[in-house]
Amino acid sequence: MTFFKAKKIVIIAEKILSEKICAIIDASGARGYTVVPAGGKGAHRRHFTSERASVVDDFSTVRIEVIVSDKSVAETIGNKVVEECFDNYSGIVYLEDVEILRPDKFNGE
Amino acid sequence: MDFFADFLVRFLVQFQSPTLGFLIGGMLVAALGSKLKIPNAIYQFIVFMLLMKIGLEGGIEIREANLLAMALPALFSVLIGILVVWGGIRIFSLLPGVNTEDGIATAGLFGAVSASTLAVAIVMLEEEGIVFEAWAPALYPFMDIPALILAIVLANIHQKKQKGGKDIRVDVWQIIKESLRGSALSALLLGLALGLLTNSGSVLNSFYEPLFRGFLSILMLIMGMEAYDRIKELRSVAHWYAIYAALAPLMHGLIAFGLGYIAHLLVGFSPGGVIILSVIASSNSDISGPPTLRAGIPSANPSAYIGSSTSVGTPVAIAVGIPLFIALAQIVFDL
Repeated sequence: MTFFKAKKIVIIAEKILSEKICAIIDASGARGYTVVPAGGKGAHRRHFTSERASVVDDFSTVRIEVIVSDKSVAETIGNKVVEECFDNYSGIVYLEDVEILRPDKFNGE
Repeated sequence: MDFFADFLVRFLVQFQSPTLGFLIGGMLVAALGSKLKIPNAIYQFIVFMLLMKIGLEGGIEIREANLLAMALPALFSVLIGILVVWGGIRIFSLLPGVNTEDGIATAGLFGAVSASTLAVAIVMLEEEGIVFEAWAPALYPFMDIPALILAIVLANIHQKKQKGGKDIRVDVWQIIKESLRGSALSALLLGLALGLLTNSGSVLNSFYEPLFRGFLSILMLIMGMEAYDRIKELRSVAHWYAIYAALAPLMHGLIAFGLGYIAHLLVGFSPGGVIILSVIASSNSDISGPPTLRAGIPSANPSAYIGSSTSVGTPVAIAVGIPLFIALAQIVFDL
């Protein structure tokens, strides 16, 4: 089997932003994304993943991953997320090289 | 002197209620670093259960109620919501070291309403045998929504002034929608509709009613644990927030008590209803308010407003406010 090179863009942001970020990803032409609960410590304060009930659920963080074969799409997503969301909310964005199977799944329309 | 002695005795009796015990127990457990955990899903389910029960009961009674009697208390609720936010912003603007947007968001949260505080008040009134109009809890959105809208609109006007020229429009309808779709208000409104339109008496009496107190005790435990956890966040912001959070609930409740008394004289609003109105006014939103404010005033620091509300405001409203208003009503209305 042959692996193909692709880019993975990872966004860690407050849960309250996830809808907005997913809309940006959809608009960029990426074909899909994965959202998982996140936690940890950042510049603002600790965001712990906790099994304990949290009265304000929307302040926990999520990790959103998008794989695209075209780097420019990844750049567009990253720039837009930083511009539109991270003025007032905490979050980070980074890019990773990944190798994928079935590249047609990651091509834009 | 008799008045105060009488008041103090009644106040202390209220303090022994099991509901408050669970709240303090939760704080203690968290302070001792216990590994006791109540899963989030259970918390969300409890909120649903409590508000569904309150809604059903209200809906069933509204069928026979004279809705005109609700008009004045509803109007007062809107008025209190606006007054609390406006007053809170004025107070914060006078305090040193308080960021304007943080102050506006905190005032907004204290004007909004807490479903859990309301549920505690209902149980304590039942324990005391004080009757109230079952539609009184439905005053909740009348205070909650105007308070949140006012805070968000004022924060945006402030930002616009600072940035100069750049037109920021506040989508009021969006805030109303967000509030009504929040988990607590949705459950309350659904309950009201079901109580009003269906024969839901049997499911209320066999399921929701018997479980109400037990679930409330678990909710209080969660609130207590959360209150202790959030104190650390409150420490990182100005002390004024803690002082405001300790005094504002009582002040707001007393204003509402006064207006409720006027409604009692004018339209026969019951003493229990006056207490409910005071509790709604003294409570500060914990479930739906914070995300709404976070979305509406993104520049405000959530540690300031959530810390003040969850770790100081809500415990004060529950542990001091409710007993105070009940004791006050018992004396004023001679119950």
